Amino acid sequence: MSRRDHQFCGRTRREFLWETGGGFTATALAGLLSADGFLARQARAADGSTPFVNPLAPKPAPKPARAKSVIFLFMYGGPSHVDTFDHKPDLYPLDGKTIEVKTFGRGGKKNEGRVVGPKWAFRPYGESGKMVSDLFPNLGTCVDDIAFVHSMYAESPIHGSALLMMNSGRLLSGNPCLGSWVTYGLGSENQDLPGFVVMLDKTGGPISGPKNWSSGYMPAVYQGTVIRADGVPIHDLAPPPGVDRPLQRRLLDRLREKNEEHRATRMENSELAARIASYELAFQMQKHAPEAVDYSRETEETLALYGIDRPETADFGRKCLLARRLVERGVRFIQVYSGGAHNDDNWDAHGDIVANHTKHAGRTDKPIAGLLKDLKRRGLLDETLIIWGGEFGRQPTAEFAEGTGRDHNSYGFTVWLAGGGVPGGVSVGATDELGSRAVEDRCHVKNLHATILDRLGFDPDALSYFHGGLDQRLVGVEGARPIQQLV
Amino acid sequence: MRAFGCLALGLATIGLALPAKGQGPDSARAREVLSARCLKCHGGEKTKGGLSVVDRDALEKGGDLGPAVDPDEPGESLMLQAIHHEDGLEMPPSGRLPDDEIQVLADWIKAGAPWPDGEPLKTVARDAPEPDDDDDASWPYAEVVRPAVPTVENVAWTRNPIDAFILARLESEGLAPAPEADPRTLIRRASYDLTGLPPTPEEVEAFEADPAPDAFERLVDRLLASPRYGEAWGRHWLDLVGYAETNSFERDAAKPFIWRYRDYVIDAFNRDKPFDRFTLEQLAGDEVAPDSVEAQTATGFFRVGLWDDEPADRPLARYEVLDDIVTNVGQGFLGMTVDCARCHDHKKDPIPQADYYRLLAFFIEMGPQNGLETRKVGPEKVEVMAAVRKGREEPHVLLRGNPALVGPKVEPGVPTALGPAPTFDAGPGKRRALAEWITDRRNPMTARVLANRIWQYHFGRGLVPSPSDFGSLGEPCTHPELLDWLAAELADGGWGIKRMHRLVMLSSAYRMSSRPSPEALAADPLNHEFQRFPMRRLTAEEVRDSMLAVAGALNDKAGGPWVCPPIPDEVLAGQSVPGQGWKVSPPAEAARRSVYVHVKRSLAVPILATHDAADTDSTCPVRFTTTVPTQALGLLNGAFANEQAARLADRLAREREGDLAAQVRLAVLLTTGREPSAEESAEDVAFVRSLQTEAGLSERAALAQYALLALNANAFLYLD
Repeated sequence: MSRRDHQFCGRTRREFLWETGGGFTATALAGLLSADGFLARQARAADGSTPFVNPLAPKPAPKPARAKSVIFLFMYGGPSHVDTFDHKPDLYPLDGKTIEVKTFGRGGKKNEGRVVGPKWAFRPYGESGKMVSDLFPNLGTCVDDIAFVHSMYAESPIHGSALLMMNSGRLLSGNPCLGSWVTYGLGSENQDLPGFVVMLDKTGGPISGPKNWSSGYMPAVYQGTVIRADGVPIHDLAPPPGVDRPLQRRLLDRLREKNEEHRATRMENSELAARIASYELAFQMQKHAPEAVDYSRETEETLALYGIDRPETADFGRKCLLARRLVERGVRFIQVYSGGAHNDDNWDAHGDIVANHTKHAGRTDKPIAGLLKDLKRRGLLDETLIIWGGEFGRQPTAEFAEGTGRDHNSYGFTVWLAGGGVPGGVSVGATDELGSRAVEDRCHVKNLHATILDRLGFDPDALSYFHGGLDQRLVGVEGARPIQQLV
Repeated sequence: MRAFGCLALGLATIGLALPAKGQGPDSARAREVLSARCLKCHGGEKTKGGLSVVDRDALEKGGDLGPAVDPDEPGESLMLQAIHHEDGLEMPPSGRLPDDEIQVLADWIKAGAPWPDGEPLKTVARDAPEPDDDDDASWPYAEVVRPAVPTVENVAWTRNPIDAFILARLESEGLAPAPEADPRTLIRRASYDLTGLPPTPEEVEAFEADPAPDAFERLVDRLLASPRYGEAWGRHWLDLVGYAETNSFERDAAKPFIWRYRDYVIDAFNRDKPFDRFTLEQLAGDEVAPDSVEAQTATGFFRVGLWDDEPADRPLARYEVLDDIVTNVGQGFLGMTVDCARCHDHKKDPIPQADYYRLLAFFIEMGPQNGLETRKVGPEKVEVMAAVRKGREEPHVLLRGNPALVGPKVEPGVPTALGPAPTFDAGPGKRRALAEWITDRRNPMTARVLANRIWQYHFGRGLVPSPSDFGSLGEPCTHPELLDWLAAELADGGWGIKRMHRLVMLSSAYRMSSRPSPEALAADPLNHEFQRFPMRRLTAEEVRDSMLAVAGALNDKAGGPWVCPPIPDEVLAGQSVPGQGWKVSPPAEAARRSVYVHVKRSLAVPILATHDAADTDSTCPVRFTTTVPTQALGLLNGAFANEQAARLADRLAREREGDLAAQVRLAVLLTTGREPSAEESAEDVAFVRSLQTEAGLSERAALAQYALLALNANAFLYLD
């Protein structure tokens, strides 16, 4: 090693770290550079002298926030609302009858169809007496903490565009996702972990893959990072074979010396310091990120609460447990996919609703109930907003001449929210008696987005990003109101 | 801009202005409700949906959806539907009025909306959309007039008029330009600038040893003649058109022959195709040269965007494709956010909504019947836009941008703010006429916009820093006279781009050091005045290509179908069918330049994505430069980085066998173009030795770690 073991350009390591790592965090905490300043800096492309501010440093919400973190449990494929949380007693006796009902799914627009009666019985739960189907015996016990929105509608009954609508508010790709907007607006509390993380189903990602966690026209720093609930959680986190942490430290020490020598005559270029700091942050991330997926300190009881002790629920259970651990570590936005790839690998029950939903509800009911209960007993539910839902719901009628499969339905479907200052034990809006479309207190996806932003302390119409000559908003240029019963 | 959906009363048909009807129900109270509830959006600060409620005539004239009040059948009036929230018309949009107010209004409307005194409601005058800045209201919409070259004191510094414009400003600020950069900095700067690749150590040494006064000029000419030039500068154009090779949406299917358009662009830059011809071929190649493969290929311009093969709303999806085209033409050629006027008049710039649809009218018949459509032209299959709707589609204004709300018919036309323009025939040949107008010397925008982009790609920042938006929401021009001079030079010089490169690069301004003096830093910390050359990080493509180049692995084969370098499994796992649409190329093909890497909208090569490659879903006028720990993780731990480090180590060991000091020197030369100082060299050697003696690595493994370090150094990633 060189003679300057603990010195960089004549300064101690402590001084150095303050100036690079600690320095920029402190600057950011003081909120010295606004988002606009960041954007201006980006537009100037390496002007070399604007002070560097970590764009993910935590920022205060514009108004008092009820939620600090978000966990979005994405039921990809579109769960059937009439078989899960939207009780339609009149639909059971119609089973097999052909009735007039307007539907629009992947099979196009239809004016009549054969009713598939709900395939599960519903029973009341909790003080609210909320009716929940037998697909969710565990979640049923949580209804007094849940707000159901039965009157959701979306603009597309096609997976790809509907996923983008639910994730980014637009049918077209190229726009920042909800998690990007939230981390853009609030930063993240933990710089050793990404602020916006996505956990995928083991069968694969959803249609359009990374477009569903893209930052679109915003800088890449706001895009979602795919994280795994076991093994190495983040891509490229682990050094390659043959490289251990002390060796990597040696490399980083020499790299830093060389980078400091390079920077010594270019002190005005803050990007160089930022890049030096980013290696220290990466090194910290390598240390702390694996700890987030180390469940060895969790009790047997906790593991069982999430269903990690049972093969069918272990996978989603680990993801829910990791979601809680990430919330505890200050990660801002966590999205967990139930279902991946195509067809019956997700909730897209075109052929056999019973087989499909039994499988997917069976894998998720216990873990999600465990997550709600665990957050609640740890006092985290109040500040963590949970969202459950898919990109749309399903039709009351059959898609094919035979079988129980249902086509997509964006005219009406159910999502639910819990925690984060949303009242429990309430139900908002309604579909018609068939569940074919939302009719009361209709809520567009943008109203859901507005509700989420509101709980995080934003005025949804005021959170904007200038792009393409326009102040872009998650809720669109016309704006959208939060769902009034939930705020 | 693509958002709409809110319903509003709106423009289109012009009702007969009948005299106000006689006395009716409580018209005074009804007008109070109008004032209190409607006026703010309809006739006060705004006239949303084209509707004003300010007086009786305005109600009858109506807005985008037609008359608000129907004088013949008042009971059928649109306004009644709206206040009752019927049939999707919901006014006010925030919620129904109290029942008593609805009753008052309804009775009044059913009685024919009598307006006894004819006195309009009190309003705030409606602002016509005009540029904010009064002083510069005419710029940039006034014709380009070549300005006089300013006189300066330090004449010796000025190699050409560019320098006079820059220096005149510096002198007025009391600043001196930074001294000339050393030869090693200059050759590295110029090589990356024109080719996106580092100079070889031999090239660096030869240039440094060349005492001739025209050495730099010859270097620039050599780089301009390199086939690598078109690969670097063609990529800039591909950024602007939002080039990608798949359709996005559920299947994200490939556009199988679109790579020919990419090759066309690269080739156009390499052959220095004049920009007016380049424009003409892309916009109207099928019209001007229907039998030319090259001209047909150029119309791939219309095919690079998103395309939904399974739209929930077909008419809307069609207009989304057309919107991409209008956006690219408006922003790309004209520096105008015409696309902001899709749903309403531009909020800040003088671009009425009709301008959007007049521009769209040039392309109304463009629209692929299916995403895979190709047309056989000549011996080769070429991706072209099939003009499938010819003669069947009439262009109309779409109210609120909604294809279901058809407004007045429009004729093809160019933005009215740009002054008198020819009338355009709606028939065949109109795209040719548009292309010719775009590059007409009298068009104020195209030459300014292109000259600014050329400056931007050389200097890292445009004279107008928002290069696709010269409007009042963009950033103001720092050097309008210089920009006008460059624009005049470009247009008068026959639209040759290589000529402009020589002009810019042979200036003293381009050759300045990037090191600011303390005085300059204090006076101009953001370098608005171009007192020094701006440093920059390598672009995504430059990062990947340079790693391959210094490792000796870069395959510089040009053109042809795209290649798919390996992508780690955990990244592929994000696809709904992992690996789909990404057939990994053999190693030699995988080592080709990034411009030839498959641009798949739903899957990005990690090293390119993390270093801020252009987003593929919209036009990208400026690349971001983000600095985040995931970049460091990828360059330290990623498979690609470690593979190139191993290759670089092999190269060092092979070319400087058994001499660690020479290996270290070669690594620094390759990655930075510089000679390491004796101290740096000694410390690097000590570092490699320590990896062997203290960390127990083999000689080969230690060298590979050193190579990895060299590929992570700021001196490698940043240009002076």
